[in-house]
Amino acid sequence: MIEQVLLVFFHLALVLLLSPLITGFNRVLKARVQTRQGPSLVQPYRDLYKLFRKGMVIPDTASWIFTATPFVLFVTTLLASLLIPTISAHAPLSLYGGVLAVVYLLALGRFFLALGGLDTGGSFGGLGSSREMTISAIAEPALMLAVFTVAIGAGSTNLSTVAQSGLGQSWRFLAPSQMLAFAALFIVLIAETGRIPVDNPATHLELTMIHEAMILEYSGPYLALIEWAAAIKQLVLMTILVNVFFPFGLSVDWSPGPVLLSLVLFIFKLLLLSVVVAAVEVSNAKMRLFRVPELLAIAFVLSALALVSTFLFQG
Amino acid sequence: MQFWQDSQFGDRMITLMAALVLVLQITMVTQRWLITNIRAFALQSFLLACIATTIAYYNAAPHIYIAAVFMLLVKVILLPFVFERLVRRIEIRREIEPLINAPISVIIAGLLTLLAYVVAESFHRPDEPMGPASLGHNTLAVAIALFLIGFFMMVNRRKALTQVLALLSLENGIFLAAISLTYGMPMIVEVGIFFDVLVGAMVLAILVYRIRETFDSMDVSRLSRLKG
Amino acid sequence: MWPIRELYSAGLLVYAVAALAGLVAHLRKINRAWIAPLQCYASVTAAALEFTASVGALLSGSEFNWSLSSGIPFIHYGVRLDPLSAFFNLALSLLAACVAIYSVGYLRHGAASRRPSLFCCFLNLMLLSLTLVFTASNVVFFLVAWELMVVSSYFLVITDHESEEARSGGMLYMLMSRGGTGLLYIGFLLLASVAGSMEFQAMHGSGNKLSPTLGVAAFLLLFFGFGVKAGIIPLHIWLPAAHPVAPSNVSALMSGIVIKTGIYGMMRVFFDFYGELPVWAGMLVLVVGVVSALLGVLYALMEHDLKRLLAYHSIENIGIILMGFGSALLFRSFGHPQLAALALVAGLFHTLNHGIFKCLLFLGAGSVLQGAKTRNMEEMGGLIRRMPSTAFYFLVGSIAISGLPPLNGFVSEWFTYQGLLAGFGATPTLTRMAFPIAGALLALTAALASACFVKAFGITFLALPRSENAERATEAPHSMRTGMAILAGACVLLGLGATWFVPIFAPITQQALGVQITQQLVSGNSLLLTAGSVRNGSVSPLMIAIALVALGGVPLVLWLVWGRKSPRVIGPTWDCGLPGLTASNEFTATAFSKPLRMIFAALFRPRREIQAEFDVSRYYPKAIHFESEIQPTFETHIYDPLRVRILAVAARMRRIQTGSIHAYLAYIFVTLILLLIFGVRE
Repeated sequence: MIEQVLLVFFHLALVLLLSPLITGFNRVLKARVQTRQGPSLVQPYRDLYKLFRKGMVIPDTASWIFTATPFVLFVTTLLASLLIPTISAHAPLSLYGGVLAVVYLLALGRFFLALGGLDTGGSFGGLGSSREMTISAIAEPALMLAVFTVAIGAGSTNLSTVAQSGLGQSWRFLAPSQMLAFAALFIVLIAETGRIPVDNPATHLELTMIHEAMILEYSGPYLALIEWAAAIKQLVLMTILVNVFFPFGLSVDWSPGPVLLSLVLFIFKLLLLSVVVAAVEVSNAKMRLFRVPELLAIAFVLSALALVSTFLFQG
Repeated sequence: MQFWQDSQFGDRMITLMAALVLVLQITMVTQRWLITNIRAFALQSFLLACIATTIAYYNAAPHIYIAAVFMLLVKVILLPFVFERLVRRIEIRREIEPLINAPISVIIAGLLTLLAYVVAESFHRPDEPMGPASLGHNTLAVAIALFLIGFFMMVNRRKALTQVLALLSLENGIFLAAISLTYGMPMIVEVGIFFDVLVGAMVLAILVYRIRETFDSMDVSRLSRLKG
Repeated sequence: MWPIRELYSAGLLVYAVAALAGLVAHLRKINRAWIAPLQCYASVTAAALEFTASVGALLSGSEFNWSLSSGIPFIHYGVRLDPLSAFFNLALSLLAACVAIYSVGYLRHGAASRRPSLFCCFLNLMLLSLTLVFTASNVVFFLVAWELMVVSSYFLVITDHESEEARSGGMLYMLMSRGGTGLLYIGFLLLASVAGSMEFQAMHGSGNKLSPTLGVAAFLLLFFGFGVKAGIIPLHIWLPAAHPVAPSNVSALMSGIVIKTGIYGMMRVFFDFYGELPVWAGMLVLVVGVVSALLGVLYALMEHDLKRLLAYHSIENIGIILMGFGSALLFRSFGHPQLAALALVAGLFHTLNHGIFKCLLFLGAGSVLQGAKTRNMEEMGGLIRRMPSTAFYFLVGSIAISGLPPLNGFVSEWFTYQGLLAGFGATPTLTRMAFPIAGALLALTAALASACFVKAFGITFLALPRSENAERATEAPHSMRTGMAILAGACVLLGLGATWFVPIFAPITQQALGVQITQQLVSGNSLLLTAGSVRNGSVSPLMIAIALVALGGVPLVLWLVWGRKSPRVIGPTWDCGLPGLTASNEFTATAFSKPLRMIFAALFRPRREIQAEFDVSRYYPKAIHFESEIQPTFETHIYDPLRVRILAVAARMRRIQTGSIHAYLAYIFVTLILLLIFGVRE
């Protein structure tokens, strides 16, 4: 029991500390490719620290929803991160909710975030909410179908079980169903974390912004919570991608040696994935909003093919 | 034994490449840029050549290597080169709207894939032992799907050039079926087919150019004007 | 031993007395302010009695039968409280109690306040007939109760009969219901003819005794007959017409439980009258479910009439329920009773859950309507400050209907997903693809539903009021809030306590499929809900809720460590430098759903019209008129041509109507002779 609690705390610390690093790494990488100096690797930490100490302005039109939103968002995203295996094949709370719970917890956070955007009464908040809900809705079938493919392959929706079943089969990731599902989930990752070509986190242009429009009125500690939650959400989705499809090196128990090794491997895999994300980001232009459905339709087709290929190649 | 000598690994690779071939075929169904279409076709042919090489390697069958080399030369290098030059010369880079729009085409392609699976399942022998000899048998469904989707594309497209591409990808399906089931047809037949395809494609390419010159369009539905 | 029979009969009696009292009061023109509330409290009492009786029947697992002969062969008043009936009766009485409490306050205003005692008479009559529909044990009695339900609910729908909209909505409801009932008559008669009895018990498995053709015919007749009531697409058109025009407490019951009579009927048909069904039947139900769910939510997104939006969501949720039933049927066809039980529980649980949150949302809409005097969301806004409790309950309902954890909607959708997931491995080639695709479309549906409720809640309750009425809105009276509070509590309890609640389905699956489910769906000291076994996947809404609260400590600590000293300032929202933010700057409901309208343009075929008046130059418009609407595909492409045909046929039929009494007598005479000849020849 006490072990379990310690484990949760360890996991929490890992997620909280690692998530800004990935964001920072992504920014550095993009800057370097664009031959800019770019911010330092630890800039996201500094930003969070600064935001927490800053004062904030609450819009006079806002209700308690506006205040509750950062907390709900942060807490739901954090709980989602506890349901997925990070450095051990056993996620601390994976028994209490599988991949469906992860998807729906993130949806709960998004639900409140969109309400928070509408609560400000400005045009931007509503615009952001509308677009965010639209894009997440049309990303959902591709996401679910890809998740189904994985779950069917492992015979379980429990992510720990999925990762463990992957550990047993060394060449599983080469199976077409896995590859296609990975590709589909990668597109969903781009869309859900608001990366180019779907959304540009670095702009505040009303024609293009989605996520930033929703949180335009947030400032100070609330903004810090939202930014942090966004970083954790990105970490959650990336972890699902790396650990479900490439579970090598996940430690099966919690003894120090394997855990350390798998921590190193885990960070390495994440950095590798963010290199790919950065590569996609710098080599693409932002899409027109109504082209995004086409991209997500491709993701859907990929995941449908993934599913078909589970029995197409039964050999 | 190194891991790449294990035929199970080979099986994985073939399956994976076959899946990518299928993805490329569906990409071609939706893609409207001619250049992208040509490159997708080239990549698809390249993957097929790789599949052929893999099968040849595990079965130590030299004549399949030759088929792979032919594939590489004709369909990966020569034809795409010719076509790309053609596209530049006639200065048409995009397909006009196909008869059936992209989302529905994809759904049709998906249904054709399922049909292919049902057909292929009747050839399926579950008691077959795993080993080099059974390599690639599970790609029959993909081969049939390539054939069917290629046919569908020929019906669906308006531009002569994309129809040629569709025909070629259809032929790719036949190639995959031949190579995965029987490890290649008799050498002479294979060479003959390649030659046939090559000549056919070249003639079509010239024809496309002529159609374009005569009608100011590649739209084959204009050909109906030719009748007296 | 629970006195089930006494409780049940007492409940019926109280409903009847309350209805009669209302009628008498209305006819005698006794206008005392206490009559209607008293009737409402009577309904609460009756509902409480029925609730206890149903709980007793479910827990004890004993069936309770009771019948009274009418002296006519085949016809007697039979009542049976088997697990299935008890479950639906339980749902009914829970909702009825809450709606009745709500009505006490609601009846003080609005159209219903003009004849409150008559209104309550019909309300009690409807509740009485609903109870009988769910518990009738023979066809004739069932159909009598069914008709009584249709008629009483029709009168409730047209409470505001001075408005044209209400009358035409009510008429459409009546017409569709009549049509559906017609199908039911034929279907039931086919089944009864082979069973040789009108008793439901005797009709068990009778569908399989019919010849294949007739069996199929009876199945389709009953499915679509009940489908009209349930509101499956394409038989749904009466829902968005009738629900919004009815008083909100009536809409709550209509959406919450009246459409569930269709679901109840389907349960009887699928799992009682038919012991087995061919694969295509299950597939049909699954496809109808998917189509209803997806189109329902898409049409809901385009609505900015709050109640029509909710009505379309009922179609969506009926679809989700049918997805559960459809996969249960498929599993049964392929010989997987365990999985069938899982899917069945998903469908039944969602039936109850949808009843609760939809009832809650309609009651919330009713409070908003009384407060803001409009159904149009574009004229609302800012109500969270003026009606804080209503807003809170509506929010709970919105979260629940969007299927978000840890509330009840999430649990039943989770079961539905698990059923669909299991389908891939358990069925042969082509059928198996249907399951994951259905799952993906369910995911799309759920995500769209949550977008829709962001819109519904956000535009209605948040930001600045968009009209003077919204600005002057006041909170609903105490009784209305109580009604909503109980339902909101039920949403939370059924979500968090799902593990304790799910075993209640055990007798139903036992009866329908002969499978015990408690073992396979609940484990880990009643903390986990599982899909067959823990390995297949598990979830614990309670633990999720606890973890969410506990994790609240993290931001709290961060706050205490760093943010405590950060000052808070209340300031204006960023208005791009324009002087002051007004309600016209806010995003509207139409604008909110615009991206989806564009994406699904092929379905909606939106039409828009912009007219601008210019003064000097076309760069300085004086006024801009914008109009946008979507095409009601089903109405224009199916029902309009149908109506034209029917009218044409009717015009031809008019020739028979001569107006001469002799001709009419001659018709009767000829018919009589023909019948006699027909009878002799037999």
